[in-house]
Amino acid sequence: MKPIHAALASAVAIGAVLAPIIANAETAPVALIIAQGGLGDGSWNDTANAGFEAGLESTGLEGRTIESKDVVAQGEEIMRRAADGGFGLIASLEWIHGEAMQALAPDYPDANWVIMNQTREGDNVASVVFAEHQGSYLAGALAAQVTTDTSIEGINAEPVIGVIGGVKAPGIDKFISGYIEGARAINPDIDVKVAYAESFGDPAKGEQLAKAMFDEGADIVYQVAGGTGIGIIEAAKAEGRYAIGVDTDQDSMAPGHVLTSVLKRVDVAVQSVIEQYAAGAFPGGEVINFGLAENGVALSDMVHTRDRIPAAYLEKVEELKAQIIDGTIEVWDVSTQGYPDFLQ
Amino acid sequence: MTAAAGTGQAMGRERTGAGVAVRAGEIVRLLIPVLIAFAVGALVLLLIGENPVDIYTLMATEAFGTARRTAATLSAATPLLFTAVATAICFRTGVFNVGVDGAFVVAGLAAATIGFALPAGLGLWLIAIALVASAAVGALWLYVPGYLLARLEIDEVVTTLMLNFIALGLTGFLVNTVLLSETSGNNTTDSIHQAAELVRLMPPSTLHAGFIIGLLCVVAYGIWARLTPAGMEAKLVGLNPRFARSVGISVPATIVTVMVISGVVAGLGGASHALGQVHRFSDGFSAGYGFTGMAVALLARNSAVGIILGAVLFGALASAGTTVQLFSDIPLDIVNVIEGTVMIFAVVELGRLTWRRRRRR
Repeated sequence: MKPIHAALASAVAIGAVLAPIIANAETAPVALIIAQGGLGDGSWNDTANAGFEAGLESTGLEGRTIESKDVVAQGEEIMRRAADGGFGLIASLEWIHGEAMQALAPDYPDANWVIMNQTREGDNVASVVFAEHQGSYLAGALAAQVTTDTSIEGINAEPVIGVIGGVKAPGIDKFISGYIEGARAINPDIDVKVAYAESFGDPAKGEQLAKAMFDEGADIVYQVAGGTGIGIIEAAKAEGRYAIGVDTDQDSMAPGHVLTSVLKRVDVAVQSVIEQYAAGAFPGGEVINFGLAENGVALSDMVHTRDRIPAAYLEKVEELKAQIIDGTIEVWDVSTQGYPDFLQ
Repeated sequence: MTAAAGTGQAMGRERTGAGVAVRAGEIVRLLIPVLIAFAVGALVLLLIGENPVDIYTLMATEAFGTARRTAATLSAATPLLFTAVATAICFRTGVFNVGVDGAFVVAGLAAATIGFALPAGLGLWLIAIALVASAAVGALWLYVPGYLLARLEIDEVVTTLMLNFIALGLTGFLVNTVLLSETSGNNTTDSIHQAAELVRLMPPSTLHAGFIIGLLCVVAYGIWARLTPAGMEAKLVGLNPRFARSVGISVPATIVTVMVISGVVAGLGGASHALGQVHRFSDGFSAGYGFTGMAVALLARNSAVGIILGAVLFGALASAGTTVQLFSDIPLDIVNVIEGTVMIFAVVELGRLTWRRRRRR
């Protein structure tokens, strides 16, 4: 026991000595506001919570998650209460809290605020956005290689692939243009069919649109359509073709019929922000872009399809990924650059 | 005809047993299910190794500890004032309308749409137009099941319940398509113009003028129920339709009327929530306010005073139940247990009283 006590004592002593050096370091606890759907959604909230726990673990900070059945209406009260209650870092996963957060953040200059998937202003507000165009680029590059390889089950010889968006909006076209750009990097003559479901919650429409694309010779369809996408994946399964999932790992929704999924690693983002905060380097006022370099977007592990895809294709994807990370390739970002020539 | 005799007796008792005694009795009856629920909650807390006294103290502080927290509680109670009144109007008439949530949601979307789509230059007129329009939308929404019940005797529980699903589907579809905000990847409309926002009563709290409108609805309901012939007739229809018919009250007309009034109140609630609280329409606009409002109406036995107390209680559970998570390890589930138990015992208590009253005759 004695040596342990001694070790502890010296650790405390070292801590005391070091403390002034890292005076910037934040110690006030962290709050994570859970979005609609709540914990246990197997998706956005759970992924973020995993990053939250990992961040607390690695920094030793205290933290709490807050759930509410009425998270839409109560957001502002929750955020103010957290700041009044002495929380130093308050992150919300709920999209709709962004406007209120921007409005109330100046009232709490000592607190640090984090919002996702949108850009908000304020010296103590960090906006986390994901470079979905980069992840989509890799998906497009993979699809363009696979689509002409008839040795793969369910693939025809035509260089035709598809993508279905929920609605025509810059936030969605960011994915679509990245996908097209990636596909063209492999095959400049590839035919990428684009359709919009005009809905994020209509699986029947998704299924119908996907089937139409499969009939026109497409064998891989990327879904960027939320709940509508469930129908797209269903169609791929029914027709013996492939879908590409989005946001979370959807490969297991129809094993063997989801080529890959373009992941949004909100866990990486949450953990990283907590660690920056703990180190006294909270990126207030900044838009933090989580792209391939930050591991903020990625392709899934492809547990059901990896064996079918020739290794050379995956190597090519890795090569493109490295080029995007080192800046050799700059993927067009509709949300900041407007529309490119190939997608109007 | 024993039921009719019983009705007369019950009414007589209410009329003669006026004043403080009845009010006190009302409040005690309201308290019983609440106390039982908190006892059950305490038991659950003990089982998971928490000290109920500490937790309840923390919850009380979070609900009413400061002016700001009280405002947060009243803010959470605001939609419930509307939905509870809208429910009580029907329940006391014997119409089991469970469609208030649907009316709240469609009217909320109507108000939000008016709030962002009409020119901002209309100023305060925006609010007036939105309130009138959402009252009309709510009225129309519940007129349909009211008419079906009154004229064709189609069960209102089924129609209003189904209409809730239609309301969610319809608004979900619209907010995903034609009304979807250009600037959002999420399912929300644009924000309403600032001119269309209801004024906040205690900034920075979100408590807004909708709370006053809600209180006015409760007061109007109380007056209608106790002092107007129409309110009396509605009560008679609820107590005994055959007796009501025999004294010359049109049962179908009364049913349609209360459903339309219920729709108006639910619609105003949706507008208040859109213009005062959320400032737009989005997925998750109603956190089941229609159903919580039903629990409030049952707990209050349709009395106006009881509705205010019940709405504040459920508002407190919602606001404190959320923020206690910041300061303790209590999951949201414990609050759900308390809410659920209140609801169960509110209904059980009602059943027991009715049963006892019937046996006495």
